[in-house]
Amino acid sequence: MPPKKDNFFSGPGIRTRTARALLSVGALAVVYGIASEIGRGRLPDRIWLGTHYVENVQLLPPYPSLAEETTFLLESGILTSSIAVSAGRVLLGFLLGGAFGILLGIATGRATRAEYLADPWVTFFRFTPALALLPLFVLWFGYGEGSKVLLIATSVAVVTILGAHQGVRSVPRVYLDAAAALGASPGLAFRKIVLPAALPHIFASLRIGLGLAWVTIVVAELIDARMPSLGYLLTLAGAYPRVPTMVVGIATIGALVLAFDLLALWVHARATRWMRRTA
Amino acid sequence: MTAPAPRLEAVDVGYTYPGATPTQALEKIGLQVHDNEFVALLGPVGCGKTTLLRIFAGFLEPTTGSVRCDGATVDGPSPQRGYVLQEDAIFPWMTVRENVEFGLLARGIDPAARGAVGGELIELIGLSRFEDAYPKELSAGMSKMVEVARVLATDPAILLLDEPFGALDAQTRARMQDELARLWERRRKTVLFVTHDAEEALYLADRMVVLSPRPGRVKADFRVDLPRPRSLETRFSPAFSALKRRIWETLS
Amino acid sequence: MRRVPTQRFVLGFASLAAMVLAYTVLSNAHLFRPEVVPPTQEIAVAFTELVVGARPPPVTEGDMHAGHHGHSSAHVGTLLQQGVTLQDSLAITAARVLFGLAAGVPLGVLLGVLMGWSRRADDYLHPIYVLLRSVPPLALITYVMLWLGHGEAHRLIPIVYAVAATMVIPAYHGVRDVLVTYVVAARSLGARRWLLVRKVLLPAAGPALLAGLRYAVAIAWMTAVGAEMLMSENGMGNLIVGGGLWASRTQTKADPAVVIVGIVTLAAAGWAMDALARSATARLTRWVR
Repeated sequence: MPPKKDNFFSGPGIRTRTARALLSVGALAVVYGIASEIGRGRLPDRIWLGTHYVENVQLLPPYPSLAEETTFLLESGILTSSIAVSAGRVLLGFLLGGAFGILLGIATGRATRAEYLADPWVTFFRFTPALALLPLFVLWFGYGEGSKVLLIATSVAVVTILGAHQGVRSVPRVYLDAAAALGASPGLAFRKIVLPAALPHIFASLRIGLGLAWVTIVVAELIDARMPSLGYLLTLAGAYPRVPTMVVGIATIGALVLAFDLLALWVHARATRWMRRTA
Repeated sequence: MTAPAPRLEAVDVGYTYPGATPTQALEKIGLQVHDNEFVALLGPVGCGKTTLLRIFAGFLEPTTGSVRCDGATVDGPSPQRGYVLQEDAIFPWMTVRENVEFGLLARGIDPAARGAVGGELIELIGLSRFEDAYPKELSAGMSKMVEVARVLATDPAILLLDEPFGALDAQTRARMQDELARLWERRRKTVLFVTHDAEEALYLADRMVVLSPRPGRVKADFRVDLPRPRSLETRFSPAFSALKRRIWETLS
Repeated sequence: MRRVPTQRFVLGFASLAAMVLAYTVLSNAHLFRPEVVPPTQEIAVAFTELVVGARPPPVTEGDMHAGHHGHSSAHVGTLLQQGVTLQDSLAITAARVLFGLAAGVPLGVLLGVLMGWSRRADDYLHPIYVLLRSVPPLALITYVMLWLGHGEAHRLIPIVYAVAATMVIPAYHGVRDVLVTYVVAARSLGARRWLLVRKVLLPAAGPALLAGLRYAVAIAWMTAVGAEMLMSENGMGNLIVGGGLWASRTQTKADPAVVIVGIVTLAAAGWAMDALARSATARLTRWVR
């Protein structure tokens, strides 16, 4: 278990690491391929869904089946239009929730009294799954785009509030003392020292929030569910059930999450270029 | 009469850090440390002294050459080669006592015996009052002494110290140097002590090895013939100044 | 510092009270349909009914037909018929949450420690972890359901999965970011494997792990309720959704009063568990500088 002697303080380069990553993902793909082929004849193809049977359920769809499904979804335009629509909702919800969360988080970070006031609300939303809020939102905000975006925004806001709050609170005292000693006003100190120092926490929570937004889209798009919509595609696939569609849908969301995450990382890296790497 | 085998030996040791731009830290290091010698390893920042110490401690494998301890090739860390790092390595979640007794715990010594040895060492470094305190209540100097005591608990034959007093102020550092010298007088051990401070090296050591800037090579290796026990007087003696001058000349 | 806890309570309480007051005023102002924005009294009634497990007898016979007092929604009716009470549901969900934590936390920590400790393991496992993490839990629940049906263990799987996935990151960072110096020192002192893990790795990563635990608690609650909403005939999720037939689960015709009661109860329970985790954290990290 302990690492080998010569790798302790200095590890292999990025090329080895990418190779290993590709190897493990590749291995996974191969294992899946084998499993799905084995399952082709053996896995049950009829499933009892509580009230009726469903035929031709491919529990582990083999690659050809997946390829066929993907082609169909792409050619018919279903997948592309769904991605566009859902990504739009995710981004909107993310921006709204993120902005609100950051502002509120900064406010609660600065003033303890604000924190105490907001605490019960943040806690309230923290433990409530989006699925439970769904019926309420539908009832109160109707069936339109608004409630979908709002649901996503809520999940994102919870995370970013905590992140911004932590960020503001975690500024080392030394920086503040140094600023005060140099005669900076509280406002100036806040803008030029606290905010930049809080940035890493804020970015970290934004990243988490982005992932969360995508995860929540499936729930949000249950509202007035209709195509095109990635979430509804998944729900339909789950309700029918059509496993190949589920797999493609999940894979698509996974890829989008990854893409957005990498983008966020890049933005983070550019914005915090001045920071020393803290591993 | 042949000289006894060196306790630590580096033969033609070189080390290059891998990566996108490999950096050669050490080149052709040949060094011997004999039993009960106090050797100071001196050199400017970045000359590879820490790297060399890590190799002796068993955490890095030399890219070229070999490193031996008591004749056998070094193959990983061992409590026989007590290692005090430059960074803060006192375990903050353990009390002073638990820290000092850790090496004994690792060896499976029973609590009573651990307590005895630990208590003695804590008294030796003068921190009996802080036995049950957490490191967060200690000053930097005190923490370092706890680390030294911790390493001494397993009674290693060899001590590897990496700029242990680097982070301390001048006064504390002078005091710690005295403490270390006193400890060494009472329990003679083989010591390899890394520092960038020439005075510190002269004050503590029997022998001085000077490394060149990167890539580090042995630039000089000479005895320090100052009388023991060392004291404040030693620092101002003419012999001391002469040696200091010699070092400055070697370094420039 | 004794003023601070009281201030926290007072302000928090005041904030809640203010909202409740505002809501009461709004909901009673005849601005919205009571089926959409249930007045506070009705919420209270629903709450009582669900706790007691029975409908209060109507005051007069006329009332029973009028249906204004006594919250006569089909939602509550169905639940009461099935013998569901608020406290029972809460207990069941809490049990699932605790199980999920008990199984998921060690799993996630183990994985995270492994990845943080060994660069090699990290290179191989990290991409797989990222892939798995981006699967929406709802989709996962549905898929698991297809394979395994509606059994109890099959509801617990998504919870354990979500908890483990949440704990991997703090464990990973706890080991990687903090540790090299301590591990070097410990190994030089002769510590090996088991002692190293027990006395060095875990305590050093402790603060990060405990912070992650609080996240994991929230996620466990959410996943448990989500799974219950989709495939369980007991628990808080079931309560919120109305205990109907499987097929109609996502057609939400739920009574908002019940939903509000459910959500508030969940939030309170979650907060309690979080407070416990917070105090445990404070006690276990007394040594942190």
